[in-house]
Amino acid sequence: MARDPERMKKGTKIIHGAFPRYAEYNCAMKYMAEHGFHNVKFIMPPALTKRTEELGARYSPDFVCTPFKTLLGSLIEALEAGADTLVMAHGYCRLGYYGELMEQILRDLGYEFDFINLSDYDTWKKRDWLKVLKRIDPKLNLPRLIQTARETIRMVEHLDDATSEYYQICGFDATGGGCQRAYRSFLAALYTADCGADIENAYKRVKQEFQRIPLNKPKRPLRVGILGEFYTVMDPFSNLNLEQKLAGMGVEVHRWMNLSNHLIHYGTVKNFEPKIRDLCEYTMGPTSTANIWYAKTCAEHGYDGLIHVKSANCTPEIDIMPVLQNISADYKIPTLYLTYDSQTSDVGLMTRLEAFYDMIETRKRALS
Amino acid sequence: MKQAYLGIDVGSISTKGVIIDDGNKILSSAYIWTEGDPIGACKRLVSLLEKQFDKENWQIVATGTTGSARKLVGTIVGATMVKNEITAHAVGTTTFYPEVRTILEIGGQDSKIILVENGVAVDYAMNTLCAAGTGAFLSSQAKRLGIEVEEIGEYAARSEHPTQIAARCTVFAESDLVHKLQMGHPREDVIAGVCNAVVANYLNNVGKGKKILSPVVFQGGVSKNSGVVAAFEKALGCKVTVDENGHLMGALGAAILARKGRGRRVFDFAVEDTEFHVREAGCGRCPNNCEIICVYSGDTLIDSWGNRCERGAVH
Repeated sequence: MARDPERMKKGTKIIHGAFPRYAEYNCAMKYMAEHGFHNVKFIMPPALTKRTEELGARYSPDFVCTPFKTLLGSLIEALEAGADTLVMAHGYCRLGYYGELMEQILRDLGYEFDFINLSDYDTWKKRDWLKVLKRIDPKLNLPRLIQTARETIRMVEHLDDATSEYYQICGFDATGGGCQRAYRSFLAALYTADCGADIENAYKRVKQEFQRIPLNKPKRPLRVGILGEFYTVMDPFSNLNLEQKLAGMGVEVHRWMNLSNHLIHYGTVKNFEPKIRDLCEYTMGPTSTANIWYAKTCAEHGYDGLIHVKSANCTPEIDIMPVLQNISADYKIPTLYLTYDSQTSDVGLMTRLEAFYDMIETRKRALS
Repeated sequence: MKQAYLGIDVGSISTKGVIIDDGNKILSSAYIWTEGDPIGACKRLVSLLEKQFDKENWQIVATGTTGSARKLVGTIVGATMVKNEITAHAVGTTTFYPEVRTILEIGGQDSKIILVENGVAVDYAMNTLCAAGTGAFLSSQAKRLGIEVEEIGEYAARSEHPTQIAARCTVFAESDLVHKLQMGHPREDVIAGVCNAVVANYLNNVGKGKKILSPVVFQGGVSKNSGVVAAFEKALGCKVTVDENGHLMGALGAAILARKGRGRRVFDFAVEDTEFHVREAGCGRCPNNCEIICVYSGDTLIDSWGNRCERGAVH
């Protein structure tokens, strides 16, 4: 929203921008869009529901990966909510082609909009990034944009850190919901943040609350590492709330793959590839190398199980399955492979998760 | 009164029930078709079990349910233990075969593999997205060939040169099968080919990447098919054990879990005469429109599920 009326002077053409729903990261997109540019109003697409998925599936090719369908559905819902400019991400698998195809499908449906496909600019040259920024806002205020970008990155880092801690503790919450309430109000604060201080305060508050909540945590709780395809593994709607379900059974849920680790701190893990040289010799798909490394790290740290998450037909993640099977055999760590498509049911997931929990729990008891 | 334990396994195709004593001895057992009516099947099952059961000397003190309708049936019979079928099968099998290393299970619409070490399940896999090569496939092919599904083993045993059938997908397998029949392959060979195809499909999908070690126990409805058992023995190169109660293993596991669990509740055979009905309602409080299932005993709501958030909770 135009919280700062001065920013939107009379006569400025306002862009109603939107980005498809992606886990809880839309709060960061909104912050970036509304504070970094002087002429953007961010249209928040509605939370993902079955309707989003059905809308997307109706207009998508049948065999495309599920995130494509969800994202397309979300873009349609954003257009319905009044967006006139859509932004689509780029990536190193089929995701790189998503934008082009989505634009075509939406145009064929008769929608009118401006489409910013980041794949058109992903040369990683500053000159090209500047081009896309100028396209959004011709009167770009670069210092302000840089300042906002810094705050946005902090927001993403805080969000990932709090989310990670939340799923590690919420299964042991002794207050019956205190954890969840603290996490939800943290999210609400991020969605309404108006300045850098708002972000920092919300983060401080949630961390304090997490500290204060009494936990019924056993000395050696069951620990499960979750890894897999970029979108499905992070988005609770797409993975049918996998982490919450698992945590609810009394499991410490760990996940390395998130936006900040993958895009910002990727380089901080030194020597990814040499560390997994015994398992694979070449760089694999967009998330594969990191996932193999993470699976191996979890196994080495004595985690009780691994869960590999992917959408149906996700080639990079199918490629790493043989490697995961080797890790599973070498370190004797049970691994559950979950494949999601728009038909996957909650009941089927619950059966597999319950069985997985029973198995790792019995095994831990038998081994100790 | 001596204590007994009831286990009920309601699957997609068949409904199984056992009553056991403290030593896991079967006091009463039944195996019937579900026919798309889990509540009706459960009532029929209970009345069959009651006929073989000595109510004068025994009392059922705990009940376990498993299978895809475990929740619904668990609500109706007042189960003290509701467990997924994978755990139930693992517990049942390891109780009777403590030495087992690999459990193969092919049911009506799902198939699983469970790897066991020192009597504890250490890894499992279950088919996803596709039910190719399960019992439903075998029965539909038997129907196409005009034989009973129970006769498949007999026919397959007579074959000398099993036909190659493409097994990746049920639809493709079916067209391949028709093609082979029209080309003049004998029925016995085609049937043996179907059995091989089921095994190949199972090992390539569910069993992919899993180390299958002997002793191997094979169970689920399809284990009653000697043609598939023979095909498994040939493919794995080891003996495949099929328990005479292999089709009841899920129910046995559920009963054992109920016995080991803490919950105690005397089972009342009156269930078979009570009217249960289920109503489905769309929540409608957001576009997700969760399908909420409400279970009634007479006019009283006894349980509901299916909502994703608190807004859909039924009181």
